[in-house]
Amino acid sequence: MKIYVKVFAYLRQKYPHVNDLNPLELDVDENATVEDVIKKLDFKPEEIHLILLNGKKVSKSELLEDNCTISLFPPIGGG
Amino acid sequence: MNYGYMGKWLKVNLSSKEMSDFDFPEDILRKFIGGKGLAVYYLWNYAKELEKKGVDLKEMDALSPDNVLFFSTGPVTGTRSPNSGRHHVMALKSPLTGSIGSGNTGGTWGAKLKFAGYDGIVIEGKSDTPVYLSIIDGKPELHDASEIWGKNTIDTTKWLQSKHERKRAGVSCIGPAGENLVPCAVIMNEIHRAAGRTGLGAIMGSKKLKAIIVDGNAKPQIAKQEEFETKVKEHVEKLKENGVTGEGLPTYGTAVLVNIINQNGLFPTKNWQTGVDKEAENISGETLTEKYLISKHPCWGCVVACGRKTKVELGPYKISFTEGPEYEAIWALGGTTNVNNMGAVIRANHYCDIFGMDPISIGSTIAAAMELNEKGLIPEEDLQGLKVEFGNPDAIVELTWMAAFRQGLGYWIGEGSRKMCEHYGAPELSMSVKGLEMPAYDPRGAKGIGLNYATANRGGCHVTGYTIAAEVLGDVDRFTIEGKAELTKTFQDFTSVVNSSVNCLFLTFALGLDEYAEMIGPVTGWDVTTDELLKTGERITNLERMILNKLGISGKDDTLPKRLLEEKMPEGASEGQIVELEQMKQEYYKLRGWEDGIPTPEKIKELELEI
Ligand code: SF4
Repeated sequence: MKIYVKVFAYLRQKYPHVNDLNPLELDVDENATVEDVIKKLDFKPEEIHLILLNGKKVSKSELLEDNCTISLFPPIGGG
Repeated sequence: MNYGYMGKWLKVNLSSKEMSDFDFPEDILRKFIGGKGLAVYYLWNYAKELEKKGVDLKEMDALSPDNVLFFSTGPVTGTRSPNSGRHHVMALKSPLTGSIGSGNTGGTWGAKLKFAGYDGIVIEGKSDTPVYLSIIDGKPELHDASEIWGKNTIDTTKWLQSKHERKRAGVSCIGPAGENLVPCAVIMNEIHRAAGRTGLGAIMGSKKLKAIIVDGNAKPQIAKQEEFETKVKEHVEKLKENGVTGEGLPTYGTAVLVNIINQNGLFPTKNWQTGVDKEAENISGETLTEKYLISKHPCWGCVVACGRKTKVELGPYKISFTEGPEYEAIWALGGTTNVNNMGAVIRANHYCDIFGMDPISIGSTIAAAMELNEKGLIPEEDLQGLKVEFGNPDAIVELTWMAAFRQGLGYWIGEGSRKMCEHYGAPELSMSVKGLEMPAYDPRGAKGIGLNYATANRGGCHVTGYTIAAEVLGDVDRFTIEGKAELTKTFQDFTSVVNSSVNCLFLTFALGLDEYAEMIGPVTGWDVTTDELLKTGERITNLERMILNKLGISGKDDTLPKRLLEEKMPEGASEGQIVELEQMKQEYYKLRGWEDGIPTPEKIKELELEI
């Protein structure tokens, strides 16, 4: 199935052209989880602090849906 | 003398031009620490004195000589403890809100005030002609400021440093906006750092005080030097290892929040009509870093360095050097206005810095004007041909300088959104609490921050209790209202400790109450526990609230704009949400020991506030 991935902050060092306006399109298996995508994109698990699936906070074991969008964030803060 | 403090506060009466030193007894220092806490203690006593003289505090004009400014550092300020170059400024009454005046700022000025020999400065009365104050090597002097009256913050700062032959002296000053008594005016230091909210710059302007320059070589004494050095090392290590303070903030600055807040659907857009900005990527921290960043710029003693030196290389908003903008400024000038043009945002933010205004209030008020105009509520003649429309970059740039100089519609922008929206007959379009424009998080997408906005003493403010750290950046469920009263109270009381210490709130991404006890203990020699600190934070929050009550503010004012309580978020990751404020608020009052926003006699006694 097809999914879309957006990466933010220093995760972009690996994918400089992937952003909110230009998500990465990926083909994944039916039973793929967020963790599979993280591996596929060659990120270390500890690099990923927050995951949103269609805007909802989820864990790494979350199953993906066809056409979903995952947003991956490292630890960030501000104010 | 008490360790950590210089042991001297300066009182300046600008009406009589009298100056005198004073201090606080040790038990008061321990009960209120410094910074915000000590300022609140001073303001409480000052308010009681005014009442005795027959001044009606509810009716008092914030720009009258009766108002008072308190520039305040704490025992940690100016020590080797990380990020301790900050200070707090307070006033009894804000010209923007009518509530208390309060602002916390970075830069170097706080540390340098201590090096000049003082812990704080109280400014009373009003001068007939422009003056500035210098404190160099322990010697305070008032000087004629007619030569710098009218100058922007860059020229003022440079003129003072050159006049006193102190290139690195700290300068706090107002720009033309403060002189013109614009209620959104700020007090700037080091040109680009602001005690930025509640209109403190207009109070300084009303007193005809243009600037305070400080410098010297004195140092606060540390009670337990060896223990202190060990803890400093440990704390710096923790800050370096933490993903937020060690990597996120140094690399991208605070603007790194634009995308994450927008992805969560709580990035207020088009004057809070929605929480999704489809082009927020263009004003994100990543874009700022890639296209506009020159270098990082830390405050004094900072190991994080979230500050940005920036430029705009091309186009109509070209500028070869400025600083910022911070996340909140980007959002206010470029997000809620739906402008999404980083060049224009940088230019408007630069005007805020050099003319001395709060970009959060200015940007939010411009967005409110855009919605008023969308609804046809601003007469043609008031617009003077300017397209005050969502998405128009020229509108934010033009209206920002017009606000500083009170030109045309800019007059109303500078007055803030509450007065402007009342003037144009649609008060519900002001997205403010207690008259202070709310910052960059729509509480429909994080309920705790809504409770914090509603109850924060200075009004619509995020840094009074930054629950976003738990609700959006951490693991707490952002939509539930359960547990949010306690979360908000804890954040607010802890923040009171930080702002009284005084150091940078961003430390709290990596350091908790334990570490604050480990800082304040060895610096002062007091055997402080985390329980004592949290109680101290609670005491400060309550005494500040008691001042609000004297100003006529209570439970009726602890609320949110109707839009957030009644209009469901129309789209995005927070779709369908409103803020269920009342239930959270009643639980919060119970936890606080307040009735209708007023501390009960039992609570006042428990916190030893029968003073
Ligand atoms: S983290 Fe940022 S605001 Fe805090 S002291 Fe450092 S530069 Fe200043």
